[in-house]
Formats: sequence, C-alpha cells, structure tokens
Amino acid sequence: MLDRYKILFARTALIATTALLLSPLGTLAQATAAPASSIQSSSERATTSASKDRWLHVRVISSDAKGETVRVNVPLELAERVLPAIHQDRIHDGKVKIDNAHVNDVDLRALVDAIRTTKDGEFVTVQSNDCDVRVAKQSNHLIVHVLDKQNSKKSEVEIKVPMKVIDALFSAGKDELDLVAALHALSTQGDTELVSVKDHENTVRVWLDSKNVTD
Amino acid sequence: MMLLAKAALTVGGTLVLAGAYTMREGVIRIDVDEYRAGGSHVHMWVPAAAVPMALHFVPDKHMHHMSHDARQAVPILHAIVKELKKYPDTEFVEVDDHDQHVRIRTQRGRLQIDVDARDQKVHVLCPLSTIEDLTIQLEEHGPAA
Repeated sequence: MLDRYKILFARTALIATTALLLSPLGTLAQATAAPASSIQSSSERATTSASKDRWLHVRVISSDAKGETVRVNVPLELAERVLPAIHQDRIHDGKVKIDNAHVNDVDLRALVDAIRTTKDGEFVTVQSNDCDVRVAKQSNHLIVHVLDKQNSKKSEVEIKVPMKVIDALFSAGKDELDLVAALHALSTQGDTELVSVKDHENTVRVWLDSKNVTD
Repeated sequence: MMLLAKAALTVGGTLVLAGAYTMREGVIRIDVDEYRAGGSHVHMWVPAAAVPMALHFVPDKHMHHMSHDARQAVPILHAIVKELKKYPDTEFVEVDDHDQHVRIRTQRGRLQIDVDARDQKVHVLCPLSTIEDLTIQLEEHGPAA
C-alpha cells in the first residue's frame, strides 16, 4: 500500500515539474502574440480615455504625391509634468525665456494687457486682393483669421486661443512665457479647435478634447 | 524513482521560480530588418527584469561617462514614462505615407515603436516599468546633470 502512495507521489511530482517547466512557454507565446494583434486597425486598438484627462490632438493630412498623414495625441497633464524636466537653451522649469518682451519693437505684455482689458471686438481687419486678415476678441477668445488669396489656390488659417491661456502664458516674469501655466489653463477649457490651416495641399488641425483617439 | 522525482521537483521548482522572477516584467523585444545588400537583421529578446538587474553590475565610473545630451534626456524620459503609465493604451504618434509607417504607442504597459519602411523594419517593445527602473538607476548613479 505504501509503495503505491510512493509511486503516486513520484508520478505527481514528475507531472507537476513538467507542467511548471513548460509554463514559461505560455508566457512567451503571449509575448509573441502581441505583435500579431498590432495588425488590428487603430480605431479598434485605441481605447477612449474614460477619465477627465484632456488631450491635445494634432492632425496633418497632406494630399500631395506623398500623401502624408501625421497624427499626434498628447495628454495635457503629461506635457505639464514633462515640461519642467526640460532644461535646454531657453526652456527652464516649463518657462521659455524671451530676450525681452519686445519682439520687433512690439511690447507683447502691454499688447496682451490691452487686449485683456478691452471689450469684445475686432482689432484688425484687412481686406485686400491678396489676403484678408481679421484679429478679434470674441467670447473670451482671441481669434486670428487669415485668408490668403494670392494664388488661385486659396489657403486659410484660423487660430482661436482662450484669453485665459494667453493670460497664463504671460503670467511668469517679465521676459518669460509660462508654458506650464498655459497648458494648465488650456486643460480647464472645454472641447475646442485651436488651430485650423487649410490649403490646396495640406490640412492641419490642432484641437482639444477628452478622447485619446483622433476622429 | 522517488529520488529522481524529488530531484526533478527541486530543480524544476528552482528553475520556474528563477524564470518567473526574470520574466515578471515581460520581455524587451527588438527586431531590426534592413532589406538591402549586407543589411543587418537583429532579433533580440531580453527578459525586461534582467536589464535593470544587469545595470547594478556596471561600475559607477562607466555610468559617469554618459554624454551631456544623455544626462539631459534621462530626467525627461523618466518624467514621460512615469506619466505614460497612468494612461490607457494610446497611439501617441502615427506618421503614414506611401513609403513608411511610423507608430509610437503604449499597449498593456509597454512602449511600442514600429517603423515599417520599404528598406527597413524596426520594431521595439519595452515595458514602461523597465524604462522607469533604468532611468531611476541612471539618475542615481550617473553624474549630476
């Protein structure tokens, strides 16, 4: 009877050992399966972020011969956390140093202060045969619209920046732009399109929403 | 037979424990294929846990030889990876044209970089936790930036 138990134990031990030794193969099989799953379409792969994360999206679609498409999706919080780690040239602690607040003899800070305190309205309107330019403040957004009519193929640029973001950008020292503060201010905004460029060859869109996938 | 069974169980158990410890963080996978005369074909699988472990055995004097650019990049890489771990699987960058397809994304806690071009294919897969461990060690043992 005792011998039967010994044989049973020995057999069980050998089977268990074999099973244990073979188990890493399963892990390797899973690891190899990963690239195969990468064949899935990007829409299937990407998951929608369920949290309140705000995502900045950039999409460039070129309709020229190369037909290039670029898609970038960046969580704003990631950018906020990473920027202070960059210390290079003019960027330190999430701030960009500008030589002085005068760029081409324009006092940027004074200009921003003036825009902030001004009521909604159109600041610049240019209409010519070559191009139309419009700079306005509307619903706490600074809007820049340029329509280039020089060529037969028109190009159009529209930039829409919340005033809070511009305020935050200029909230640092005299000769600095606070990128982190601007990103933080941007993250408090609702879904919005910030930049749109359209010409005969390229379409560029920069927008903000709470999804981690592009359309 | 009894002795054989005991020995097998001991050796097998030790191997499995060692294997499980080594493979606990997955695998770093690097595949490079160059489609030209004399092009290189590199296919490397390394247990992810082994890399930070191996770094412990690198003498500090060699760690100090990190270039200036690398010293600056390590804290940035650390900050990026630390943050990436918080987000769901995402495609961060995708560039597509007739000649090539570049993709940088996270998938199940791993950073995946794929470059598919006519003349070469590069696929890199690395657990985020391994990159974080590496950057921590490089920050601790490398020279002050």
